[in-house]
Amino acid sequence: MASETGESIRPGRTYIPWDDLPVQRETIAGIGTVLPVVVLYLLIAVLPIVFAFWASLHEIHTLNPEWQWAGLSNYREVLNISTFWDSLWRGIVYMVGSTLLQLAVGLWMALVLNRITRGQKLLTAVVFTAYLIPTIIVSLVAMRVFDPAGGVFQMIGAEWLGLWGGQEAPLGSREWAMQLLILIGTWKFAVFVTIFTLAQLRAIPDRFYEAAKICGANRWQMFRDITLPRLMGIVLVVVLLRSVFMFNKFDIIWQLTEGGPGDATTTLPVLAYKTVYTDQAYGLANAISVVMFLFLLASAIIYFKLFNPSEEVETTT
Amino acid sequence: MSQSEPPGGVFGLSYDGETRVSEALKLVSTAIIVLVGAWPIYWMTQLAFTQYETVEDSVTVFPTPDIFTFDNFNVLTDPEMYTYMFNTVVVAIGTIVTVVLVSLIAGYGLARLEFPQKENFARILLIGYLFSPIVIGIPLYQIWQSIGLLGTRFGLIIALSAISMPFAVWLMWKYIMTIPEAHEEAAWVDGASRWRGFRDVVVPQCRPAIIAAALFAFALAWNDFTFAQILLPQTDTTTFAPGILRAMGQAQFLPEGYLMAISLAMTLPPLLFAYFMQSYLLKGFQVRAL
Repeated sequence: MASETGESIRPGRTYIPWDDLPVQRETIAGIGTVLPVVVLYLLIAVLPIVFAFWASLHEIHTLNPEWQWAGLSNYREVLNISTFWDSLWRGIVYMVGSTLLQLAVGLWMALVLNRITRGQKLLTAVVFTAYLIPTIIVSLVAMRVFDPAGGVFQMIGAEWLGLWGGQEAPLGSREWAMQLLILIGTWKFAVFVTIFTLAQLRAIPDRFYEAAKICGANRWQMFRDITLPRLMGIVLVVVLLRSVFMFNKFDIIWQLTEGGPGDATTTLPVLAYKTVYTDQAYGLANAISVVMFLFLLASAIIYFKLFNPSEEVETTT
Repeated sequence: MSQSEPPGGVFGLSYDGETRVSEALKLVSTAIIVLVGAWPIYWMTQLAFTQYETVEDSVTVFPTPDIFTFDNFNVLTDPEMYTYMFNTVVVAIGTIVTVVLVSLIAGYGLARLEFPQKENFARILLIGYLFSPIVIGIPLYQIWQSIGLLGTRFGLIIALSAISMPFAVWLMWKYIMTIPEAHEEAAWVDGASRWRGFRDVVVPQCRPAIIAAALFAFALAWNDFTFAQILLPQTDTTTFAPGILRAMGQAQFLPEGYLMAISLAMTLPPLLFAYFMQSYLLKGFQVRAL
């Protein structure tokens, strides 16, 4: 077995027989471990993006396999149609509105859930369920409660608050559709923020607070000097992820409004989907996808440069 | 905490005074969370047990005995609905297994093995967050069609696994970094191979991260609408979310009571997961930065 004569490739550590193997073994094993990820990545992410780019250079009818070379004309068309710019703008409104609201609600829920003593486990489970149930169910329930025929929220809004007419469907009104989409989305997705923040809060040792109390700190100071710094890192990450996810959100919008009424809730993903299946313009839709991807890539790079949420990755690897 | 700041709290309240204020805020907040968080689930439940004739034309708050019924749940045995739910379960399990296996191995490799381009690999992984289902789904429709994966549950499982992969790998990697390497070295000294060290020492300790990654993959697969809508165009292989939406579009009459009964059935598994797995979930998500 192991003797003192073997030379460890990791000086200062215990000698193990495994160190006698040529170094390449580890390299091969290491690459082997990430190979499945790389293959999946190439297949599901890189290939589709390359394919989308190639398809975007063609004129393609969705149901017709014949491709006609079109060069950059799809891109010219995308950047010239006003629906693209309107959709981009609506997407940004939806993204920023949703992210800010979800961040506020999510942080608040985490702080409360962390402090309550009775029924904590049950309430946490109920809150988490919102994130785990299928979006379609959130949509079904939302459509139900905002239905003019027997919908309880529709009734409250119409009769108590006078926000809309008694026979009016708020999800089908130009004025309310976007606001309601943001609110309904927040009910579900704010929990994402809560999960991450709550995990952070649980990791703060109680002795920090006890020590602060002995030193005469008040609650606000404790929050500012102990809780908040612990949350900053994760908040930056969550803001990045939530913005990206909300910008890309298709399911809940399509289920609730299909981008309507008119174009009032058509964001870029909805526009791309409509272009494929309503306008049957597959090449053009791919051009929209590519532009969307490039837009997100540029925004993410700027965000990383500004805040560097991956700091820990760089210091620990 | 600096001693220069005067004792006493915000608005000149004493520590006990602040405690009372924060207790009051906490109670009000809890009430709001109960109301807003639990209310839609309660509403769905009560509608599921109410006769649908009643649901159609008036607001009910509680299914009193005269309108109470179990009949809505008969829809669960309807062949179409049953197929949708069965497909969803298959896809969810397939995605969980793929994600956990692949991310566990890759996470171990990233945490413990040295290989070239490791840092770049980690960075490229982060770009994975930017791939939206719609951006990938539209080209994937044609790719899957040409290699025969369109309309198969397997095709959907691969797509969903790839989407949850960046997060799961990152989670697993960060988690394995927190396990002391000495545990494995002890096993190696006793003659265990690297594989045995991984299987018997690392994997058991990774339980919170495995459960967190599994729950994340479950939420993604159980939730998915976009991929299934694009990649499963036929009715017999489609999952719950696009299936129910198509059924609603085609059927002239799909009673609300039925919809709520199905929704309740699809909500129970996540609720049980959330109740019994939450401590693991929170432990697994204890990561500080990307």
